[in-house]
Amino acid sequence: MYNDMPKVDLKVVLLGSSNVGKTSLLERFIDDRFNENLPNQSTIGAAFASKEVCVNNIKFTLGIWDTAGSERYQSMTKLYYRGAKAAIVCYDVTNLESWERAKYWVRELRSVEETCVVYLCGTKKDILDEGKTATPDLDIVERYAAGIQCKFYLVSNKTGEKTSELFDEISKDYISDPDNLHSVMEAITLTANSKTDSRCCPIG
Amino acid sequence: MANPEAPGVDDVIAEPGIEPGASAETMLVTTDSFEEYEQEMSNSIDDRQMKESTTSTISELQEDIREAPPTPTAVSPTEPKPEPPDDLELEDNTQQLSLNSLEIDPLRNTTWLAQRKHIFILSQAGKPIYSRHSSEDKLVTLMGVMQALVSFVQAGNDMIRSVHAGDTNFVFVVKGPLILVTVSKTLESVPQLVLQLTYVYNQIVSVLTQSQLTRVYEQRRNFDLRRLLTGSERLIDHLLNFMDKEPAFFLGAIKCLPLLPSMRDAISQTIVQTCGKIKNLVFAILLANNQLVTLVRMKKYFIHPADLHLIQNLVASSESFKTVESWTPICLPKFDSNGFMHGHVSYLAEDCQACLLLLTVDKDVFYSLSDAKQKIVEKLRRTNCLEAINESMNKASITTAEIGLPEMRHVLYKCKSTAQFWSPGFQPPYTTDEEIERLLGLYQCLHHRLHAPNRPLKLIFQQLDKETMLAWVTSGFELYLTFEPLVTKPDAINSVSKLLKWIKKEEERLFILNSPTF
Repeated sequence: MYNDMPKVDLKVVLLGSSNVGKTSLLERFIDDRFNENLPNQSTIGAAFASKEVCVNNIKFTLGIWDTAGSERYQSMTKLYYRGAKAAIVCYDVTNLESWERAKYWVRELRSVEETCVVYLCGTKKDILDEGKTATPDLDIVERYAAGIQCKFYLVSNKTGEKTSELFDEISKDYISDPDNLHSVMEAITLTANSKTDSRCCPIG
Repeated sequence: MANPEAPGVDDVIAEPGIEPGASAETMLVTTDSFEEYEQEMSNSIDDRQMKESTTSTISELQEDIREAPPTPTAVSPTEPKPEPPDDLELEDNTQQLSLNSLEIDPLRNTTWLAQRKHIFILSQAGKPIYSRHSSEDKLVTLMGVMQALVSFVQAGNDMIRSVHAGDTNFVFVVKGPLILVTVSKTLESVPQLVLQLTYVYNQIVSVLTQSQLTRVYEQRRNFDLRRLLTGSERLIDHLLNFMDKEPAFFLGAIKCLPLLPSMRDAISQTIVQTCGKIKNLVFAILLANNQLVTLVRMKKYFIHPADLHLIQNLVASSESFKTVESWTPICLPKFDSNGFMHGHVSYLAEDCQACLLLLTVDKDVFYSLSDAKQKIVEKLRRTNCLEAINESMNKASITTAEIGLPEMRHVLYKCKSTAQFWSPGFQPPYTTDEEIERLLGLYQCLHHRLHAPNRPLKLIFQQLDKETMLAWVTSGFELYLTFEPLVTKPDAINSVSKLLKWIKKEEERLFILNSPTF
């Protein structure tokens, strides 16, 4: 009989408006690639991908849920952040509306999933490098992030800048919590009997 | 000119009883694409009252799929009188039209005006929702005119069907809370254009469900549907291009990936065995290159080709399915227009680009399906099935020349009992997109004549400038053929019978003749 449980240790959810680059962020992390020729391919429903990471010689699996930014899936999005240990709330650094939306998601998570660690992620940094101005000003974002005690990353999925650092940080933060470490170790002992594959490669 | 032959020719072409690809077992709902149109034509007036169905396939999976078409009564499409808006004035202005004005005013842009087929979607209140060749919000006035035409005729308790001006057809479909309009300069007939608009409507239903669509407009008549459709425009865009290139739509049929029957059975059995224990799994569909590899279904449930076409469209227009596993809500309008199914969608492997869809009515089984998919792939790899799929995907389709029919250039063969069709690879002169679309247009003309409501034909032999066309419909199949222009009738008939024998010999590879269930 099947038991509908993920085979992942750390459930991460990506949230944010449509077209901020959640799917691109995921693709950057999973396959380290970016498809520039593709116009915005709105996610329909949600998508899932998992990847094994290794921190301090401890291997565990990240399972990432990429949600649809579009309004019509909003009611379904709850399903995906339920039980998430970490959330990456994305906004487009040149799009004020997406920033407002990001703040909404932060509030939502704080009230519904208290144990979920929130990471704020400004995307499309490459556009800033080309000379566009950030809206809102990055100072405001940084102050906001500091105020709610969450980490802020400015990334570019196009160039790959800071994306792996973001996921590294999430993995490290997770494993530094003794409770999480404990459950990961337990899972390792359980699987160790069946598998003796002990290769370990550092992430990033 | 069409030249209906004496019925005696039927017997000459092939010995009776040959019906390649026929099977008593099928997983597809068989329909005549034309019936759909008749239903549409007789129904659309009542449609506005929206007889909300009380049964839902999804909530009552025990019950049989309801597929009872209301008795279609013959309707003679009314030819409305309204003249197209000021053609003369438009022509006067053409000289000054600037090519750059698309973003400002499409109506003053020559390229826009010259498009062969426009598609517009608007709400019954006249709000623009979609335009194929430009952004819809620049077309508020134009859509206002369309809405006015529709409601003017409605006021007389009638329904506007089409307007014909020179070589341009304006075709209207009013469905639920939406008005769909096409302005077409192609050779496609009104029923074929209606069918395409119906597909577009079904695509919207597939994204939102019929009940949600009805509800938002009940709550607010002037609702802006674009808010809910954000991100789905690409599905409509792709669907429209798809219909211009794919005969599957007007044939109402599905093409299968050629595979040895033993391989196909092994694939189906792998899916059956792996997924057998998962409750509420309704369909497992494996697609490769837009062709069906296999379809496993829950007993009692069938899938309609029109629903499968929408699934093919979804897969073909979503690049991201290739990297991740998707969990996609999808409404299949013919299966149950009021509810979502949940689809686990993923490609088999990096080295095997076939897309597997596992459709369920249970929204909490993602991880089970994800697990099942992994197991299916492992098994298929061990049994060399992935290799077999790849081999067939990478092989160029056989051409009629290779079959040994030198005077035959191309053919569409539809087996009616299974709703599947087969066509060979294109060969010169049909090697450019333009030529392929032209050929498809010729097939559509034949298709229309065979199914014309007032005078359906059984056989057409048509000698044209660049090719000779033959179309033949029997109780078992539909056949559309392209020959060299100077082929003689006896030679053509001779090669048709050779072709049918060849298809019969290959039927187990070209078609799916059984219908596996969980």
